[in-house]
Amino acid sequence: MNITVLGTGMTVFGERWETSPRALARDAVKQAIVDSGCEHKHIQALYVANMLSGMLGMQGHLGALFAEELGLSVPAYTVEGACASGGLAIHTAVLGIMSGQYDTVLVLGVEKMTDHKPEQVSSALMGAGSNEERLAGATFPGLYAILTRSHMEAYGTTEKALASVAVKNHYHASLNPKAQFQKSITVEAVLRSSCVADPLKLLDCSPVTDGAAAVILSKRKTNTGVSIIASQVASDTLGIAERESLTTLIASTRASEKAFIQSGVSQKDIQVVEVHDCFTIAEILALEDMGFVKKGEVGNRISEGEFTLGKAKQVVVNSSGGLKACGHPVGATGVKQIVEITNQLRGRCKSRQISNARVGLTHNVGGTGATAVVHILRKDTI
Amino acid sequence: MISPVKIWRNQKHIAKQLGQTGKIISWSLIRVPPEGFSEQAPYPIAVVELTGKAKILAQVVDWKINELHRGQKVKTVVRKTIEATQDGVIPYGIKVKPI
Amino acid sequence: MMGIVSYGTYVPQYRVSIEEIAATWKKDPDEIKRALGVAKKSVPGVDEDAVTIAIEAASQSLSLFDGSASKIEALFVGSESHPYAVNPTSTIVGELLNIGHAYLASDLEFACKAGTAGMQMIAGLVGSGEIQYGMAIGTDTAQSKPHDALEYTSASAGVSMILGKQNVIARLESYTSYSSDTPDFWRRDGIRYPSHAGRFTGEPAYFAHVMGAAKRLIEKANIDVSDIDYCVFHMPNGKFPREVAKRLGFLDTQLKQSLIVDRIGNPYSASSMMGLAATLDSAKPNKTIFMVSYGSGAGSDAFLWKTTPGITLFHAKQKRLGCFVENQLHHTRDISYTEYLKHTHKL
Repeated sequence: MNITVLGTGMTVFGERWETSPRALARDAVKQAIVDSGCEHKHIQALYVANMLSGMLGMQGHLGALFAEELGLSVPAYTVEGACASGGLAIHTAVLGIMSGQYDTVLVLGVEKMTDHKPEQVSSALMGAGSNEERLAGATFPGLYAILTRSHMEAYGTTEKALASVAVKNHYHASLNPKAQFQKSITVEAVLRSSCVADPLKLLDCSPVTDGAAAVILSKRKTNTGVSIIASQVASDTLGIAERESLTTLIASTRASEKAFIQSGVSQKDIQVVEVHDCFTIAEILALEDMGFVKKGEVGNRISEGEFTLGKAKQVVVNSSGGLKACGHPVGATGVKQIVEITNQLRGRCKSRQISNARVGLTHNVGGTGATAVVHILRKDTI
Repeated sequence: MISPVKIWRNQKHIAKQLGQTGKIISWSLIRVPPEGFSEQAPYPIAVVELTGKAKILAQVVDWKINELHRGQKVKTVVRKTIEATQDGVIPYGIKVKPI
Repeated sequence: MMGIVSYGTYVPQYRVSIEEIAATWKKDPDEIKRALGVAKKSVPGVDEDAVTIAIEAASQSLSLFDGSASKIEALFVGSESHPYAVNPTSTIVGELLNIGHAYLASDLEFACKAGTAGMQMIAGLVGSGEIQYGMAIGTDTAQSKPHDALEYTSASAGVSMILGKQNVIARLESYTSYSSDTPDFWRRDGIRYPSHAGRFTGEPAYFAHVMGAAKRLIEKANIDVSDIDYCVFHMPNGKFPREVAKRLGFLDTQLKQSLIVDRIGNPYSASSMMGLAATLDSAKPNKTIFMVSYGSGAGSDAFLWKTTPGITLFHAKQKRLGCFVENQLHHTRDISYTEYLKHTHKL
């Protein structure tokens, strides 16, 4: 597979009180169009990724809404898979191009989360879980906390190791002008932060964020461009009670295995990854479940500073700051991951640029692991 | 208001799950509850393996901190789940209690 | 021959002490304990209500019952804290316990005697041969206004009695009732807390009706108090049942096994039924039990029971499953006054 990423754009992620979803979308798309050198008329379809607009804002039919807003009279689709909506929209767009139906398409991930009370947002996010989980009063921090506890009991993973994930991602975000939290934090600060769902604390959890990200994909080639060379999706049970294991997200393993086969690359060929760190434990699980590190070994290595810009021996993880520090506007995250990897491969990341980035991977998860989407991107050689 | 029809359909499953025992596989303590659970917080939730091997995710009630651990025996009970509005139908559901 | 074939009880595990409540209102706890004869009262969990408590008690009675839930052909639930003004507690209980659909369900209200009224009605249905088995439940999460005297006693519990003609463990020898219009304690629709008429709740209310029903029963059954082995009376506090027992000529030894009030307070519709259950728990075969409930408004239901040899086997089952009233009273958790307010939705 070889789908060109023609252009990328993203808004600043954060609490964007004055910015509506339409304004967020216009901002990200304008950047992508300028970056691509395309014109409006070249875009043949629009894929919108979003999770909460219907639940919180009573607005569905986002394909039609944003097509109109962006002045695009084209087929428009909304793709939803909880927090994997962005990755799924990219995947769906890739399929649209591979089918021969479209040459060039626009993928827009957008989410507005700060218009509503935190408890309402927390409940709405549980739309990604099962009814049984909702009736038990579970929250996402709670469900991932259960996975954390199992991981700690099985592998001795420490709270300090979890905190190190947050510290690393905040450091990366401090170098990212689009990130929600452009400030470094310490392990002590994470350990001191209040408990949300034992053992996960406030600073183990990604924030509530507004934001949009957009990419233009095409079958057209460009010389200095970046291509998507693998796009794979896998599913698992909706609720964690029905999982085979509480220490592995098997959907991540399945999606990544298929992606490695499809692309012909393996973990050692990859210099940079954007993984789904909705909670610190999720980054640890991602690296293990996709085979970058053996089960139970991420904890030690992260505590020692591995996977950090400038110190990484194997691969830099979440150069954007990840969900934790760059922010997690749910529907936009999967698209933002493609934006970050593309720009790393194009050498456009300035102070957070990885020196030898040639191949990158994005990992986007829905719910507690019911959906996993993996993309592999490669810098085209002339 | 929670849909009375959804509550009715959900409650048909309760009879089957009542009167069972099991053990805690893993748990967490929810300190920041979602809407509809503020009166009950903080409360533990747990993945419980029932005798018969089926697993459920349920809230733990009448608990002591030393009862929250892998292997703790529990039984299923009926309790109120989501806090109903003043004029809404009250949803009941399965929770687990340490024994 | 007709009577109790199985019974089950449930008391929520939380307790708030007289000391805790008194401290908030700067009252003397010892004086209150002396006046009321109560040490602690049971408090429901924040997610418990009369329905969930009824289910617990009914569940226990069914686990000790020689038959499936579908054999129950009538289910009455008496309470003064039904969660709905309109929507039956009885059918929620019936559905969640898999009783099926072929039964008569009804909710009852008559202050603290709603449960025993149900028992008499079931007795009628069983006695006439119209049904084989019926279940009467008394269940409450009694509410009281903070700072009111009732705050020290209004408690929470549930009792389920299954009546039938086969495998009877306590035969219903005789029963009667005594009713009048006496507004000693009431709660208007839509109003949160009950009101009461102070000392009027004593002689003209509790004592007049309990004595009235008791005397009617003694006459109807043609018995002598000295021939009776045990007695049970409604327990609004620790003093009233002891006083009425004395007036009727009963001794401490006949009353003491029923006095759950000392440990859990007054669980309203479950009060006298719990006293009966506690008495049955330790009663040997062929013992008589004289029971009179009381419900404000007002009325008293009186029963004369006689245990059968079958009760021995029943006790063995209870022992195996840990189903005595004492088991309910054993696992308790003391809570503070603030937690008590949280649990009873006052915060």
